[in-house]
Amino acid sequence: MISFEHVSKSYSNGDTYAVKDVSFEVQEGETLVLLGSSGSGKTTLLRLINRLTEPTSGRILLGDADVATQDPVPLRRRIGYVFQGIGLFPHFTVAANVAIVPRLLDWPKERRTQRTHELLDLVGLEPAVYADRYPDELSGGQQQRVGVARALAGDPEFLLMDEPFGALDAITRDSLQEELLALKQRLRKTIVFVTHDIQEGMIVGDRIAVMHEGRLEQIGTRDELLRQPKTEFVRELFAKPAAQLGDSSKS
Amino acid sequence: MNEWLQFVGDHLPELWLHTGEHILLTGVSTLIAIGIGIPLGIAASRHRWLRSAITGTVGILQTIPSLAMLAGLLALLNRIGTVPAVIALVLYALLPIVRNTLTGLSNVPASIREAADGMGMTRRQRLWMVDLPLAAPVIVTGIRTAAVVSVGIATLSAFIGAGGLGQFINRGLALSNHQLILLGAVPSALLAMLVDASIGAVQWSLRRRRATRMPAWLNRLTRTAAASAPILIFAAGCFAVLTPGLFTTKDGSANANKGAVIRVGSKDFTEQLILGELMAQLIEQKTGLRVDREFDLGGTMICHGALVGGAIDLYAEYTGTALTAVLRKEAISDPTAAYETVARAYEKQFDLQWLQPFGFNNTYAITVREADARKWNLKTISDLKSRATEMRAGWTSEFSARSDGYPGLQTCYGFQFGSVRDLDTALMYEAIQRNEVDVICAFATDGRIAAYQLHPLEDDLHFFPPYYAAPVIRKATLEEHPELRKTLNLLAGRLTSDVMQRLNSEVDRDKHSPADVAREFLLQNILNTRDSF
Repeated sequence: MISFEHVSKSYSNGDTYAVKDVSFEVQEGETLVLLGSSGSGKTTLLRLINRLTEPTSGRILLGDADVATQDPVPLRRRIGYVFQGIGLFPHFTVAANVAIVPRLLDWPKERRTQRTHELLDLVGLEPAVYADRYPDELSGGQQQRVGVARALAGDPEFLLMDEPFGALDAITRDSLQEELLALKQRLRKTIVFVTHDIQEGMIVGDRIAVMHEGRLEQIGTRDELLRQPKTEFVRELFAKPAAQLGDSSKS
Repeated sequence: MNEWLQFVGDHLPELWLHTGEHILLTGVSTLIAIGIGIPLGIAASRHRWLRSAITGTVGILQTIPSLAMLAGLLALLNRIGTVPAVIALVLYALLPIVRNTLTGLSNVPASIREAADGMGMTRRQRLWMVDLPLAAPVIVTGIRTAAVVSVGIATLSAFIGAGGLGQFINRGLALSNHQLILLGAVPSALLAMLVDASIGAVQWSLRRRRATRMPAWLNRLTRTAAASAPILIFAAGCFAVLTPGLFTTKDGSANANKGAVIRVGSKDFTEQLILGELMAQLIEQKTGLRVDREFDLGGTMICHGALVGGAIDLYAEYTGTALTAVLRKEAISDPTAAYETVARAYEKQFDLQWLQPFGFNNTYAITVREADARKWNLKTISDLKSRATEMRAGWTSEFSARSDGYPGLQTCYGFQFGSVRDLDTALMYEAIQRNEVDVICAFATDGRIAAYQLHPLEDDLHFFPPYYAAPVIRKATLEEHPELRKTLNLLAGRLTSDVMQRLNSEVDRDKHSPADVAREFLLQNILNTRDSF
């Protein structure tokens, strides 16, 4: 479980807030989508979890432990991270990229290789074909599959995904979203997924937290947001999908 | 062409040794510069406040002229030879390495660095696994620049007795011998290209290549071979220095005499080389002491510094130079008074002993072309007065600046020349011969006066102080080997101005080596039998 307790992050001595007094919980094994436009604070929330960013006030708990009390290096090795810009290491092969966290964790070599092949299979990349390629020899979709495999390699309890499909074309994005749904059923990880795309959020998320200008507008299931928006912002945001939902239920 | 091959063949042992020295100088200094420069670059990339301090400092180092740097280090360390040369080369090599390390590291995309942090790499792990590998191509480019530049700058190290191919160039310049200059310049240019290519091979081996049809083991082999190219060059250099006798024929036994070593120095022009050889050969013949020749040192202050610091034991100095350049006193026109003054001051200030003068006075001589002298009936410096404004002067930079040079000359004679150019000694003689200047500050005993048909003018107002040459020796050396006094004094008074000019011209005009000229003179005048050679 991940808990945010009155978390704020301000810049320039409190003049501007990236995140302001946000509290919510991510349940064990659920996929929570952080939805919002750019500048809404959703990526900041993600980075606060693995201490790439430190909060100005409030605290973040993983289970019962405040992340602020933990050494960021082992903390991050427990948390898989799929980056917005993918961030594969261009000088490492696909296999080496996937094996990084196991390598940092000093796993023996056979176990690393086995794990790498397992994960490449999992994300649908034939190890015999792809293991020795370099990232720039892959398509965008393939690169992001490697990114997902890399984030899962250390068998982390938590998986953070920062707009992982943002840079991909629509068709690739659709199929990866489908695969992610299948994957999360199998893995049962606690996932925090950042996106600005409402459709994607509704497909991927068990629950959705809507962020706006650093504040949490509403958190709830897709249906709750569609049918019982608590703020004007959420109502307007979901107006179009709600209308479509209305249309389709009519027809 | 045959003549060239013969020439190169004759110098093969020296070429072998100096190329080896050159490679070692360049290699060692580049390695040290890598060891210092990369950590400095890393530090600069991490701390903004350090960045301008580090890049500023290494940038300023780069602007110091090479000779000034060498002379400065010499004064600072009080020694000649390899150590100051390597330090100078390291300081020059730092800029490209530090700058490229900094550039390479800051070019690592922020998203990649973020990913490395986010996956739980420590700072050190990120540096070794991500930052340095990604910056490597840029860093190696910096190392490549540094190494190639070092090959060039290392030629100047010969000025302070560090050896290397520059020794041929210096000696060639001193003796106006183009073959010798080329013997240093061509191999050092080739070496620069070789070093450039070898580090290029390293870069090629670092470049990640797509799947090739080459089998993996062959791929690995070619890459390893390419990456070790600079190591091979360095190893060859070590080998050359460790086997100096490899190309020596049978007479390598000249220095077989074991025992104490006397280090004889010389400045970097013909007369100094001949004097150095005369003293060195005399010591070898008469005392059985071994002699190391530290010749071609780049100027008065370098020789003097080396002598005071104990890097050499003796060299030939001129009274006038000692008085004005070393002791910074007013010139004295009476030769005996000048000699006594410097002898006393040297003993008191530096613990150095002046032995008896050789006999000649190598004073400055304002010199014109013989043809001009005849045409305008020029005999004395005063005769130039009416023509001076139309004449172009070529001086050595020392003459331009010294109080007993051009500044004093103007005051004493009351005229100036139309234009003045500062030239290297050898180029000054070339320039007057080619009509590029009309008047130069020759040295009275210079062989090129006769060789180039020049005409020295009489110093009718007795402006120039006397420049009598004599051996200057460390007192400590003299106490240890008192026989040196008697031995070197064998030359006292034997080298008159006429004799010295003749010996100089045998080298400058007839292209004999200083060693041969000195040997011939000693045989005919000092040593009684040929058997001893």
